[in-house]
Amino acid sequence: MMIIRSSDQVPRTTLLKRFPVPRNLGVGPESRIGRGKTWPALAGAVRVKAFEIYRYDPDSDDNPRLDTFEVDLDDCGPMVLDALIWIKNKVDPTLTFRRSCREGICGSCAMTMDGTNWLACTRFISDMAAPATVYPLANMRIIKDLVPDLTHVFAQYAMIEPWLQTRTPEPERERPQSPEERSRLDGYYECILCFCCTSGCPSHWWNGDRFLGPAALLQAYRWLADSRDEATGERLDILEDPFRLYRCHTILNCTRTCPKGLNPGKAIAEIKKMVLERRT
Amino acid sequence: MMPTSPAKRPRPLSPNIQIYRPQLTSVLSIANRISGVVLSLGAVVLVIWLLAAAAGPEAYAVVQGALASWLGQVVLFGCTFAFFLHLCGGIRHLVWDMGYGYELSLIYASGWAVVAGSVALTVLAWIASLLLGD
Ligand code: HEM
Ligand code: SF4
Ligand code: SF4
Ligand code: FES
Repeated sequence: MMIIRSSDQVPRTTLLKRFPVPRNLGVGPESRIGRGKTWPALAGAVRVKAFEIYRYDPDSDDNPRLDTFEVDLDDCGPMVLDALIWIKNKVDPTLTFRRSCREGICGSCAMTMDGTNWLACTRFISDMAAPATVYPLANMRIIKDLVPDLTHVFAQYAMIEPWLQTRTPEPERERPQSPEERSRLDGYYECILCFCCTSGCPSHWWNGDRFLGPAALLQAYRWLADSRDEATGERLDILEDPFRLYRCHTILNCTRTCPKGLNPGKAIAEIKKMVLERRT
Repeated sequence: MMPTSPAKRPRPLSPNIQIYRPQLTSVLSIANRISGVVLSLGAVVLVIWLLAAAAGPEAYAVVQGALASWLGQVVLFGCTFAFFLHLCGGIRHLVWDMGYGYELSLIYASGWAVVAGSVALTVLAWIASLLLGD
């Protein structure tokens, strides 16, 4: 398992579970995580797995905490999202998280599980460490428990103007696209805006106020690559900036983590090439 | 984002580097930066060595002595490794900048090649210098 071929491969061997940095490195006082409650297994449970879950209650004055839940695997579905739903139904109804489709297409349930970002509905419990750790999407302001505030990353998405822009007069019928032109959007149009990539990007951790991050940049390329779009120059003007685009240092955590198997790192490289090509 | 009521304290930031798993991608990236910094410091050592050589045999002997010491050799070995790690990592970056090598399997294959290549080149360089040297 030295070579990862597809982003859904869960690492089996571990040298370091986390970077050897102090737990509270650069962490503001409001973000320090305390030890929480342990919710023991219900009577009669045979196959039990412990889940350490990040909790934050905005209606209290308490800091975030890490609760431990013992989940009865014989009473629960196979996915991490099933475990969260089981906890909410059977143990603590206040546990809060986003979910909708439970089949990896809405992007709601993105979170940091065992230290990497993925969708809770498509991550098998059997692939999780013991104890399993579940945090909200990394590096986000937290509204409650596992629910991050995505206002900022959606504002960054809006900045790339994610809609078709044309200058030529409106045609009688639709703007046609050949199958070959359409295929240039493959690998980009499938993005579900879960923000797993942006949340896992170290450059976005340190410069997220100005660096657009991989999700918004992959979307930017999706419109640059669209044969019907006529705003290429304006789009590149928005992106050509030392921070918005060029804070990407090709770390490629984004490509490693995308739960749809997309390649934001490659999309960003294509944008950098387009910027360069129009200069020469 | 700030909360709607200014009296309320800010929302907590979920942990990032404190919990995110080290992966070949991020580890080699930080290694490239650290080796770049080590090389910049190594360049200072190189300048000192050249200045000493220019200043005359006595100064040169002092610097040579320091570099030949146990600690000096460890520093030189570290600089050699940093050089090859940064060289191999730099070539990997340049290939990426040309738009190649972004498939996940290639990212990992080239990453391990950088690790293996820089270890091998460091060992070879030291064997060569020990054989050719005094
Ligand atoms: C001994 C001389 C060298 C020194 C002192 C040096 C120093 C540095 C430093 C300080 C950085 C910044 C690190 C960062 O931003 O993460 C850097 C980046 C870089 N170096 Fe070097 N370097 C040297 C040789 C080389 C060589 C020979 C290559 C080419 C094979 C190279 C390729 C690169 C590349 C591509 C980057 C950018 C990496 C990125 O985008 O993050 N360097 N170097
Ligand atoms: S390749 Fe760029 S966008 Fe992707 S994780 Fe690295 S720095 Fe972030
Ligand atoms: S590129 Fe992948 S990880 Fe990033 S937002 Fe889109 S689907 Fe999610
Ligand atoms: S619930 Fe829709 S992606 Fe997980």
